[in-house]
Amino acid sequence: MLRRVLRHVVLVVPTLLGVLTLVFAFLHLVPGDPVEIMLGESAAPSDVAALRHDLGLDRPLPAQYARFLVRVAHGDLGQSIAFRAPVTAVIGDRYPATLELAATAFLLALSLAIPLGVVAAARAGSMVDRLTRIASLAGACLPTFWLGPLLILGFSIGLGWLPVSGRGGVLHLVLPAVTLALGMLGVLVRLVRASMLEALGQDYVRTARAKGTPGWRVVTVHALRNALMPVATVAGLQAGALLAGAILTETIFAWPGLGRLVVEAISARDYPLVQGCVLTIGVSYVSVNLVTDLVYQAIDPRLRDAD
Amino acid sequence: MIALASEPQSLDPRFGTDANSARLADLLHAGLTRPDAAAQRVPELAAAWEFVDPTTVVFHLRSQFHFADGRPVTSLDVQATYEAVLDSALASPKRMALAMISHIEAPDPTTVVMRLRAPFAPVLDATGLGILPADRARDAGEVTIGAGPFRLVSATPGERLVLAPNPGYPDAPPRLDPLIVRVVPDEVVRSLELDRGTVQLTEDTPQPEMLDWLGAQPHLTVKRMPGTSFDYLALNLRDPRLADRRVRQAIAVSLDRESLLRFVLGGAGRPASGLLAPEHWAFAPGRRPRHDPERARRLLDRAGYRDPDGPGPLPRFRLVYKTSTQPGARRLAEAIQAELATVGIALDIRTYEWGTLYADVRNGNFQICALAWVGVGDPDLYYLAFDSTMRPPAGYNRGGYTSPVMDRLTRRGRHVLDPARRRTIYARIQRRAAHDLPVVPLWWEDRLVVHTRHLLGFEPAPDGNLRGLAAAWVE
Repeated sequence: MLRRVLRHVVLVVPTLLGVLTLVFAFLHLVPGDPVEIMLGESAAPSDVAALRHDLGLDRPLPAQYARFLVRVAHGDLGQSIAFRAPVTAVIGDRYPATLELAATAFLLALSLAIPLGVVAAARAGSMVDRLTRIASLAGACLPTFWLGPLLILGFSIGLGWLPVSGRGGVLHLVLPAVTLALGMLGVLVRLVRASMLEALGQDYVRTARAKGTPGWRVVTVHALRNALMPVATVAGLQAGALLAGAILTETIFAWPGLGRLVVEAISARDYPLVQGCVLTIGVSYVSVNLVTDLVYQAIDPRLRDAD
Repeated sequence: MIALASEPQSLDPRFGTDANSARLADLLHAGLTRPDAAAQRVPELAAAWEFVDPTTVVFHLRSQFHFADGRPVTSLDVQATYEAVLDSALASPKRMALAMISHIEAPDPTTVVMRLRAPFAPVLDATGLGILPADRARDAGEVTIGAGPFRLVSATPGERLVLAPNPGYPDAPPRLDPLIVRVVPDEVVRSLELDRGTVQLTEDTPQPEMLDWLGAQPHLTVKRMPGTSFDYLALNLRDPRLADRRVRQAIAVSLDRESLLRFVLGGAGRPASGLLAPEHWAFAPGRRPRHDPERARRLLDRAGYRDPDGPGPLPRFRLVYKTSTQPGARRLAEAIQAELATVGIALDIRTYEWGTLYADVRNGNFQICALAWVGVGDPDLYYLAFDSTMRPPAGYNRGGYTSPVMDRLTRRGRHVLDPARRRTIYARIQRRAAHDLPVVPLWWEDRLVVHTRHLLGFEPAPDGNLRGLAAAWVE
């Protein structure tokens, strides 16, 4: 187990290095100069040159890249050009909001998807199954930009139960989390159902039934455990995407998360901030990947034995 | 509570350049002067000022102003703020606007002497800079302590700012306590917040359909007033077709501004004759390009761009129209594409995110694009926009327009101090611009404010500033 974790951690370095290299290259390839955006059109060429020098943007690209990597190695992501504050502080202000929203949406989706998928599979062909399939398809198809305002109209304007937008208490979290979770839920329910159907047709399930194991136990213990492997893979990928910030949901619900910050940083050509955000997203993805791997081992003892 | 569409990047008057930074910094800070509806400077920290000679302006400060931390505002604060911004070490984007100032003196606590490098009439436009306490003026970080009507209580990045009245503000202290400013990027959601009453005011022009809906709500008030923002088509005169004045004229007269305005802004604007709106002190009435597609076709024929197949599908020529990804900008692009197609000019619309579009415009890498001047102040903008030496990066002459007459007039306009003579000079400049059409005027956008009926006493400003909140209250 420990070896597996260590192997993951070692693989993180080249992965993040690759991501950072690509982002650095692409950012410097697209047109737009952060200094000109920051100082405006009327800035004196001497001021533009001086600030570019201060920010190290007048150096050759390899030198800028090397300097950036050295700083990152020391835990310094530099200064945000647009916000004139340390990148770590700017991201630190926004990331908790993203974590809060992502974790809530993820837990909500998972806690609904597994029971719904299991029931749909156990009652395959029944009305419950058909309704679940239709609802999950709808959940996966509804676009956020339509679903979000619709939920606001229903629950905030119509019923007056929930705030329209913004971040505050638990009530503020409900609509953005549900909007995000519904998209995930549709995919996960269908996946759990399909995996369960496959597991329920396996020999070991027939054997368990033949031995007189109660039906609920066959489904929840014997079949579900084996059906969860593909679910863990997809759920891990979706959790990683959630941690990258849900730009549309954050925009609609005025949620001050990382997704909106990345868009603002790209518009301002705020290279250090974009790189810092990408690094944060990369670390989040890799961390989720690691957790997913550990979940695999918890589900499937053969993987533990392989170590 | 008010809602803005985007987060201000800085509340510090030395650094903020985006519109919302300016709006909010204006609530927290006070400058020597501020603009009135005619873009003339009126007193703020300075009760009065005088040009004692062509290169020296003396400001007499009011003694009643205090910073939010309770300290009185003195000439030393003014001196320190200006000197800090003029110091290249601070890397302030406002430095160039003050470049004509050679130095500032503070002979006594209520007198500021501003010495200029040369006679420079637009100098007063630079005196709106918010003043900071002297001991904070050179801070590298954001300084939010000012002498404006409000003070900053707390800031949650990306989400909200909480403001409260500045007890040291002498002019009728604000009654909104607290004033909460929220960032709500989505236009539909901003409107729904207003509808529910959780937000009392928003001042970002809604799409026409949304405006109709907002106007129909009994508990909301839509206020409209003439604005000074000037929307126009920038043309790149380096392109041989657009270098021909007849082609520019053809483009100008092929546009039906009234119907474009209705389609793009729901009618919230006035067809423009030039950069300065009628309320501006230097405005001179001029001819607006009148919609006349037949004349446009004749002009294009005369310029040698004959329609190859008459009413058939082939165009006379094609141009690339660059625009941003904003829905309103795309809507305008499509409408202009349709209008120019009727006279045989085909537009290929290309949309870019703002950073890329801005870089292309600055580098002259465009043929046509729609841009706007927001908050037009001193008419010296004509020099920055149309003088032949003011091509980027020196200024805003992005289309590469060159005219010895315009050069002579715009240079004279900045050195003549007498307002009456300046008005005459700028009248000639406006006539010249209307004749040469270095840009095609579209319209002056109205200021639109939507607020709940509970918010009373708020009057919108032509340039979109939010100072009216200092006089507003909630019933």
